Amino acid sequence: MIFWEIAKRNIRINVLRSSLAMLGIVIGVVAIASMGILGNSLVASVADSLSSVGDSVIITPYSGGGGHSFGSAGSSVNLKITDQNFQQIKRVAAPNVAIPVYQTAEHMKIGVGSDDIVAVIYGLPPEDVPDLLKLQDGVYNNGNSGCLIGPTFAKDHDLKVGSRISIGTNGDKGTLRVMGIIEERGMSFDISTDSALVVTKEWFENTYNRDADYDQVVVKVKDGDTAGMKIAIEKQLNKRKDMKIVNVMDSKATLATIYSTFGMVTTFVTAIGGISMVVAGVSIFNVMMMSVTERIKEIGIMRSIGTQKKEVMSMFIYEAAIIGVVGSTIGGVMSVVAGYAISALVLNTTKHLFTIANALSVAEGMGFGIVICLACGFYPAWRAANLNPIDALRHE
Amino acid sequence: MSEQPVMVFQDVVKVYPLPAGDVTALDGVSFQVDRGEFISVMGPSGSGKSTLLNLMGCLDTPTTGDIYISGTRIGDMSDIELTNLRRDRIGFIFQYFNLFPLLNIIENVTFPMMLKSQKAVDPEKGKEVLRSVQLEDSLFTHTPTELSGGQQQRVAIARALINSPDILLCDEPTGNLDSKTGAGIMDLMTELNRKGTTIIMVTHDPHIAEYSRRTIRIADGRIVS
Repeated sequence: MIFWEIAKRNIRINVLRSSLAMLGIVIGVVAIASMGILGNSLVASVADSLSSVGDSVIITPYSGGGGHSFGSAGSSVNLKITDQNFQQIKRVAAPNVAIPVYQTAEHMKIGVGSDDIVAVIYGLPPEDVPDLLKLQDGVYNNGNSGCLIGPTFAKDHDLKVGSRISIGTNGDKGTLRVMGIIEERGMSFDISTDSALVVTKEWFENTYNRDADYDQVVVKVKDGDTAGMKIAIEKQLNKRKDMKIVNVMDSKATLATIYSTFGMVTTFVTAIGGISMVVAGVSIFNVMMMSVTERIKEIGIMRSIGTQKKEVMSMFIYEAAIIGVVGSTIGGVMSVVAGYAISALVLNTTKHLFTIANALSVAEGMGFGIVICLACGFYPAWRAANLNPIDALRHE
Repeated sequence: MSEQPVMVFQDVVKVYPLPAGDVTALDGVSFQVDRGEFISVMGPSGSGKSTLLNLMGCLDTPTTGDIYISGTRIGDMSDIELTNLRRDRIGFIFQYFNLFPLLNIIENVTFPMMLKSQKAVDPEKGKEVLRSVQLEDSLFTHTPTELSGGQQQRVAIARALINSPDILLCDEPTGNLDSKTGAGIMDLMTELNRKGTTIIMVTHDPHIAEYSRRTIRIADGRIVS
């Protein structure tokens, strides 16, 4: 239609002014979308490093409200979960499996003449290990002369299935043969095995003179109701408010809290990006008002020869829409490039770039850009349409 | 049965309310324009000419009294109806041509046609009308600023004629042209009138008014002759 054509030509004739308005939108879209991409990539990156803990509830000895710090070896040196407590947990958890976990840090040597190293050793009942860990190589260990090792540990010390590790400062706690290498789990809420050894519960008890006094218990919840399980265990073990026995952590809820926190950070940085879009909107408004002001006479002529108000309005809305769509499209393309650069610089990886969440962030930025343009073009367009044709015709 | 007049003013009063007090621009104006007439409206500055032109062009409505355009009373019309009436029944010709600088000649001429049909139109009709106002074919794709004043006014006349209006309303059509070019435009208007176009022309130039067949003289908001 002719009004679309007029809008296009007016932008072309005022190319510098229109380009500057577009630039504002481009910057706004890039700010919003690239911040969104960065936030999403951050969440994806964290999710990647947090292992697939699945639905588990982690029970640790009550440490006076200090909470649980996952992966910290010997964090509860003097605090243990007694066998009585474990049996209570087991009964509440049934039919879900409750896995008692021993944990310590130990000196060890790999090969003759090698340096002394320190690593975390977990002691688990062999029958429960497959519920908790998957192997990338070898077989599960059922005997007291073998162990499983984490993938980072294997890589760092060049260990393979069949390699031997001397436990203790001078190998005084015996030698263990690597039976299998555990799949990468990342940072985890229960046990962090990537750089650790996993031995049998029996070996651990014999070696460290432990007797059913566990460092933590992991309950794998099959129906996914981790919140319900947490309440049930707390109800059973922490009956008295002034004498709590255990801390219970719902992995799913914790993960959700982490994601929600990252989500809030993403929203916050995106909102900061949104400020530049508001500035761009002011620029569009200004450009559109200028466009209307310098064409008042033209509007008067149009109205006098039979152009309806809505047609005058459409002409200016088209103009704002063209600036919005072109600016937002350029901004969308540039935000992918900016997102790539920021991800590469900040997160050192771009593997989380091409995701649906990021596509939505770009779409969100572009959509916001177009909406801002239309919103800021609306009042000038409305004003143009509602000019008195007689006054507009007289305008010089 | 006689033919219906294209325009009737019945005791039309136009009052502008101003903070300093109401100003009566037209005070009981009555006249009628029959089909095929060529009328000039004359009067000094402040006599009410512009107000009369705005009312004749349906750009404004009277305070009291009735105006009929081709039998239709405009007093109670909505803005949309008045706009459609301007588009379909009235052709405007302005002193400063008032062509659209962003459109070429053909697009300027066919603009009212596009408003009416709401779609792209055949440029042939535009070319035909442009030829009828004696504009060369080579100028059709030019922009208005590339044309002389006389040529621009011919384009404006073509634009006013494109929807075959009942009335051609002219506001000082030669006011911005030299006398020779102005005479050429007036010859064209006379020719158009001879072919049946009803023309109402507001002017303060008695020489131009001589081209018309009837003159309405206005002073202090009243018709004096």
